[in-house]
Amino acid sequence: MKQNFKVALAQISCKQGDKTENIRKIEENVTHAKTQGAKLVIFPELSLTGYTLRDQAYELAETIPGPSTSVLEEMAKKANVHIIVGMPELSEKTQSTIYNTAVLVGPNGFIGKYRKMYLPTHSVFEEKRYFRPGYQTAAFDTKLGKIGLIICYDVFFPEVSRLTRLKGAQLIVCISASPAIRRAFFETLTAARAIENTAFLAYVNLVGIEDGLQFWGGSRLIGPNGKAIVKAKYDKEDLVIGELDYADIKPMETFVPTLRDLRPEIFDKLKEHAEKL
Amino acid sequence: MKLTSSTLELDLVEVETKIKRFIRDYLEKSGAKGIVLGLSGGIDSCTASALCALAIGGDKVFGLLMPEQETYNAKDVEHAKLVAKKFGVKTETIDITSTLEAFYNSIPIFELMDKLCKGNIKARVRMIYWYYYANRRDMLVCGSSDKSETMMGYFTKWGDVAADISPIMDLYKTQVRKLAQHIGIPKEITTKPASPALWPGQLAEQELGVRYEILDLILYGLEHFMETEEIAKQLRVEREMVDGIKQRWLHMEHKRRLPLTTKLEYRTVGTDFRLPRTLAKR
Repeated sequence: MKQNFKVALAQISCKQGDKTENIRKIEENVTHAKTQGAKLVIFPELSLTGYTLRDQAYELAETIPGPSTSVLEEMAKKANVHIIVGMPELSEKTQSTIYNTAVLVGPNGFIGKYRKMYLPTHSVFEEKRYFRPGYQTAAFDTKLGKIGLIICYDVFFPEVSRLTRLKGAQLIVCISASPAIRRAFFETLTAARAIENTAFLAYVNLVGIEDGLQFWGGSRLIGPNGKAIVKAKYDKEDLVIGELDYADIKPMETFVPTLRDLRPEIFDKLKEHAEKL
Repeated sequence: MKLTSSTLELDLVEVETKIKRFIRDYLEKSGAKGIVLGLSGGIDSCTASALCALAIGGDKVFGLLMPEQETYNAKDVEHAKLVAKKFGVKTETIDITSTLEAFYNSIPIFELMDKLCKGNIKARVRMIYWYYYANRRDMLVCGSSDKSETMMGYFTKWGDVAADISPIMDLYKTQVRKLAQHIGIPKEITTKPASPALWPGQLAEQELGVRYEILDLILYGLEHFMETEEIAKQLRVEREMVDGIKQRWLHMEHKRRLPLTTKLEYRTVGTDFRLPRTLAKR
């Protein structure tokens, strides 16, 4: 397993509903990232299709593995990198049950997927109308260490990142499609999730405008001390590369030992009170 | 939440950037060649025109000045031309008096004294001209409605509000004034009293019965789910007035939507036929 490697944050805008064009852009970014030495290339939430899909989600969703993930697997093999992309996933067992999913592929093919657990359905968001929530957090063993996946609004619920970290994730990847009016929340919460879990956190947000919603970009790789190792531009497409070293986790875990100090009995109380809210 | 004059403050640089980006992006995705808009010389249309020009270049923005005899105001025409010149917007002036006369004369039930119905004809006639130019020149129509008048339903249905994009519709009137000053709209335009100019002497604040400085804070409070009692208390105005504004806002929803139909089939336009607006062309 590699202790230190370069991570590419591929902050792209998408063409709504056009998978061919978006895959072309994904490949272009993978190629550029590869030439800069990246071993992991991360794309935003629903970057295969664009975020604002509404009823088109039913037409665009695919099974995983499926045709688009096969293309991504080939891409990863060819470039010898790991790739994370967001996409609408069609359940294999039904015809129109879909998930908002992050998929991880590597040089040896498909590694794993994570189905978004917290689906925003308020303000401009209508995800519960279209997506079924996931029920499992995800942390995968890879040649790049243990990588956990979360998606956008999940970051507001510390228990998702916590559970991902407790499953062993050293790097938590949060792919996102966050509109500009919510920038301050994400800038605070992404750093908080990294600090409280003493883990690396890669946040990759969409840019561009979809149906009047302007996505703010600002992708970043954050160290376990909460500081950004690298940051992408606001509001513009960007590809930035940051290097992480898992050895940096240990001094932070000693300095702020949040994992050592966990109190499991609190979680029972949380459950009890959440049920009564 | 506190309702004070600072409540409506904006990061004007950020707002200008976002609006310009929105205009540019939508035009590019639509494949249209430019933007047509009605340029009355009022603050809203002057601001919208300037923003379009700043976003895509004045040579791609076409302002239509459409004065008519009854409400002719030389100052407004002068202001429209001033802004057009400053931001490089191309203009054309069409006197719509004869078109309006033709309408009035051809309607068997036309009632001269009903100034609202008559005024609405003016707003809708102007809309016909915008769309004619837009169709002929493969352009988009840009609206100039602000949030205050949109929430209050203070516009003509299918008239002045008709547009492909409305870049300042999420800004209250007092915010539009600040943005206008920020982008360089002359003070004489940003400080003059607003008027839809549907009949002589018509003034927006007089008709709405409240100054925009108060109205905007009331609407802001309603937008943020505040109780009318609390809004009235904070602004030191009558609760009845705030209730009245709330009722008007709620009752005007029909003006802001597609026509209502009754559900008969699988997916219905305007309700559960939900598609993205800017889906990629294939």
